[in-house]
Amino acid sequence: MTDRQHALTASNGGNVPINSARRKPGRVSAFADGWRRWWPYYVMMAPGILFFLVFHYLPIWETRIAFEQVRIVPPNVWVGLKHFQVLFSSSVFWQVLANTLIISTMKMVFFLPVPIIVALLLNEVRGGSLRKFIQSAIYLPHFLSWVVIAGIFIAALSPTDGAVNNLLGMAGIAPRSFMTDMGAIRWVLVFTEIWRSAGWDSLLYLAAIIAIDQQLYDAAEVDGANRWQKIWHVTLPGIVPTIATLFILNAGMFLNADLNQVINLSNDVVRSKIDIVDTYVYRIGLQTGEYSLATAAGLFKAVLGTMMIVIAHFVSKRLTGKGVW
Amino acid sequence: MALSRKTPIEHIEYAIIVSTLLLLVVVTVQPILNLLAVSLSAPGKVPGMSGLAILPDGLSFEVWGVLLQHPNVQRGIINSIFITGVSTLIGVVGTALMAWGLSRPNLPGRKALFILVLVTIVFETGIIPDYFVNKRLGLLDSYWSVILYKAVNAWYLIILIRFFEEIPNELLEAAELDGANPFQIFWHLVLPLAKPALATISLFYLVFHWNEFFRAMIYLNDQEKWPLQVVLRQFVIDGDKVAIVGADSANNNTGAGQLNLRALKAGMILLTIVPILAIYPLILKFFTKGTMSGALKG
Repeated sequence: MTDRQHALTASNGGNVPINSARRKPGRVSAFADGWRRWWPYYVMMAPGILFFLVFHYLPIWETRIAFEQVRIVPPNVWVGLKHFQVLFSSSVFWQVLANTLIISTMKMVFFLPVPIIVALLLNEVRGGSLRKFIQSAIYLPHFLSWVVIAGIFIAALSPTDGAVNNLLGMAGIAPRSFMTDMGAIRWVLVFTEIWRSAGWDSLLYLAAIIAIDQQLYDAAEVDGANRWQKIWHVTLPGIVPTIATLFILNAGMFLNADLNQVINLSNDVVRSKIDIVDTYVYRIGLQTGEYSLATAAGLFKAVLGTMMIVIAHFVSKRLTGKGVW
Repeated sequence: MALSRKTPIEHIEYAIIVSTLLLLVVVTVQPILNLLAVSLSAPGKVPGMSGLAILPDGLSFEVWGVLLQHPNVQRGIINSIFITGVSTLIGVVGTALMAWGLSRPNLPGRKALFILVLVTIVFETGIIPDYFVNKRLGLLDSYWSVILYKAVNAWYLIILIRFFEEIPNELLEAAELDGANPFQIFWHLVLPLAKPALATISLFYLVFHWNEFFRAMIYLNDQEKWPLQVVLRQFVIDGDKVAIVGADSANNNTGAGQLNLRALKAGMILLTIVPILAIYPLILKFFTKGTMSGALKG
């Protein structure tokens, strides 16, 4: 009882009600009790909580400039949805939105199968050290920045001395400047994405494959199944939940066509083909200084993106039991 | 398994599987080896060198010498090490402290805090509001704008919470009965137990901050503060030769200006990934384990 009284004293500044000793533990005293026990944890969490409030919640407050006219002499003027009207009537905005969706779709269709195939193949490799060697090599690009990867590919795709055109040259095909080719640049995005992450993503599927019950393979063996039949009837069904989860989660990130990738692989010649919402926001916001319009575009994307992630999360939870968080 | 029962067809199948994977290895590694070869070749041999080459033609360290002596590159290296080191330290400490609290199932307000964190994962406000927050706080053009960007990463926080949750409750209760306070329990019991998880998180932060360039590019106007990634971008992506060899050498084609731009770029790219390569064995060990145990992608 003394403990609770202490806590109560601390919580209401010493104004202890006279009948406090006889009262049942109410809301206030329970809270104070909790605080007595848990304050050290809150002290430890304080820097982290402060970080989230300042660097994640202040920006949310800052998005109000999407509804304001920025003036050199504050305060800004509230203009409601004016910037959104400008945005939605701008053909450039619809173009970058279309680009974002096209690039995301291309990545989804052509990227998704690659890590699955790689994982299936890796699983067939018997020698432990051979497998390790292959894994160590193909995981590496995942840990390189897009600046580095862009540098590597600008070199490898060079029309004069890039590996790709040298190879094509050996086959008698005329060199092509992929980086400045309107028809090729989106494929460059897809391929560099595969180069960077297909190897690493295969690890996720490999983990699922390894978790498959060995008895299923033994049973298939007894039934006389060959390698491909085992892959088709045991391995693939075993990783379908993982495939579904990753597919849905990727769908949730659909509007994130990867700013870092595009900004480093883009150039004046092909910009119109791969300008995405994020690069558009960056350009009109920080380079041209149309803060309100850029914030409106960013907010539009954020709201749409949030809806997609939340939907993806619940669909995934429902179907596979695993969500985004 | 019974190797003796393998038929010739199965041997061929296996050979195809292994060759496909080895081809993948070549596609992954060759472009990097080519850059190494170009950067180490004798300057006269670089023009006309094939993109397929993986061995240097002649041997010269001139390119690496020029790069390592260049003030922009030296500043970049120092800046990158400083920014990465400080952000990783802050990140790991902040994340561990917050995860410890959030891993206690009875913590009052736990659910509200979880929502506070989850909202930030789902709703990303974008670069303009971030920029204005930094401006308002007076952080623009300061190292802190970059250091504090994603200082506590929500994903890594969740990974660490999951790990702390697995520490047996009896252990913590026993320590509490012995009169240890939460600070002592955290320091003497939780941290030592969490070493592998902390190592994983540290590597996550290390790689993330080393590779970060966009925030540095928009927050830091002062070239003196640029990390290596931004220096690399200016030189390789924007193709600004003056940035590396200096205006005099570039215009008059003297000194470093005579070196092949392709070789300089190749060397610069590799220079930026040296630290990643140096810790790559650790990355493989911890990232792989982290991912295999069901943690999220880094």
